[in-house]
Amino acid sequence: MMRHLNLIIVVAVLLVAVILSTIGAGSMHALKSRFISNQAPFVEAGSAIKKKFEATTRGIKTLDQLEEENSDLITQNKELLAENQLLRGKEEENQKLREALDYLKKDPKYKLLPARIVSRDASAWWNTVKINRGFEDGVDNDMTVITETGLVGKVTTVAKNESVVLLITDENCKVAVKIAGTQELGILSGKRVQSADKPELVINYLTKNAALEPGQEVFSAGVSGGIFPPEIKLGKIQSFHTRELDGQAIVTPAVDIPNVEDVFVVMGAK
Amino acid sequence: MKNVTIFFSLLVCIFLSLIIEQFIPPLRVFGSARVDLVPIFFCYGALLLPFPFAILLAFLTGLFVDLSTLQFSGGHVEIALGWSIFFYVLFASLLQGFRPFFLRGRWEVHAFASGIYAVLFITAQFVMITFRRGGIEVSPLVISKILVPGSICFLLSPVVYFSAKMMGAMPVKRRVRQY
Repeated sequence: MMRHLNLIIVVAVLLVAVILSTIGAGSMHALKSRFISNQAPFVEAGSAIKKKFEATTRGIKTLDQLEEENSDLITQNKELLAENQLLRGKEEENQKLREALDYLKKDPKYKLLPARIVSRDASAWWNTVKINRGFEDGVDNDMTVITETGLVGKVTTVAKNESVVLLITDENCKVAVKIAGTQELGILSGKRVQSADKPELVINYLTKNAALEPGQEVFSAGVSGGIFPPEIKLGKIQSFHTRELDGQAIVTPAVDIPNVEDVFVVMGAK
Repeated sequence: MKNVTIFFSLLVCIFLSLIIEQFIPPLRVFGSARVDLVPIFFCYGALLLPFPFAILLAFLTGLFVDLSTLQFSGGHVEIALGWSIFFYVLFASLLQGFRPFFLRGRWEVHAFASGIYAVLFITAQFVMITFRRGGIEVSPLVISKILVPGSICFLLSPVVYFSAKMMGAMPVKRRVRQY
């Protein structure tokens, strides 16, 4: 009797799983959005704790570095060295913010919304991050996310105060690109499996005889009906090789994806 | 009543694990593998709780994991909601067979279950995205991304087991019926 009951429970639960798998992408999107909204306070708290922790470890690192520097610069003015020690951490942060603000002022073409990365996807096969902006801030699906140095990715899920951004290092994030100084066009995407330290991007569908050199810059092509605006920097060519039907280039991303913290959501043309 | 308390405690632990995992950086020494904490709590519950509770825990864990990992691309979902539930429920049913050993205090059952489950789950995800995207890619990086989380689960499981035991979550040793 008990075994029959257990079997019924398993079958019922599996049936619910099957029913859930048949619901449309829109409903799944709504469910995920609600789940992210529920997680948001915990993620925010986690992000704040992580930031404090990192600030502490950065302080320790700076002292180590300063110790090294101290031995090299022993002849230099002691007063100046001490001042540097105190200001180093703050100056770095200040510089970052200044660069971001400059970029915000400089770029007149698009309306940009500053955002901060609050967490990173823990799964093994997907490259996504969560940012602290959601539909309450006007963020919508497929909006482009950039930094002052280049393209970061696109928004794939929007919750109330948080959004999921698919990074360009993910195989599913495909961007039409052009190579500076050439007529070459191709499709750029991330690799399925790659190291978190030095992510690489791949451009497929280049012509076989494309004369590409390492160091050439790659920009978004901005095709009509596409998501990404034109002329956003993606990276630099690292290597090029021909395949049976096309040419393939490996690209070093312009943005330091593993360490990026502050980003901008492109809200649309001004 | 104790089962209900353990069930809800584990559910909270699983929910929090999904959040904590997001803040643990990838292990750069081991091919950027990620730390997976959910299997540790899930396997503990699947081994400790009676069948209906274990299945309910598996269902909710699968749902949480699915909602965390759902990926949308071009208006499509890469791996549909529900498949994790399927996987978690099947594994919970299987683990119930090892429950008598676990209840007799065999902590290594939990450690092996967590490690094996983490490996199986990540492999299943990889197989599914491989089918979906096409092109098989097997490299040392893929293997480390699969095996390292399993090894970490295996190593961390005793910590959870003995912590839970200290908090009184472990059952009293039962005498096995002699036939």
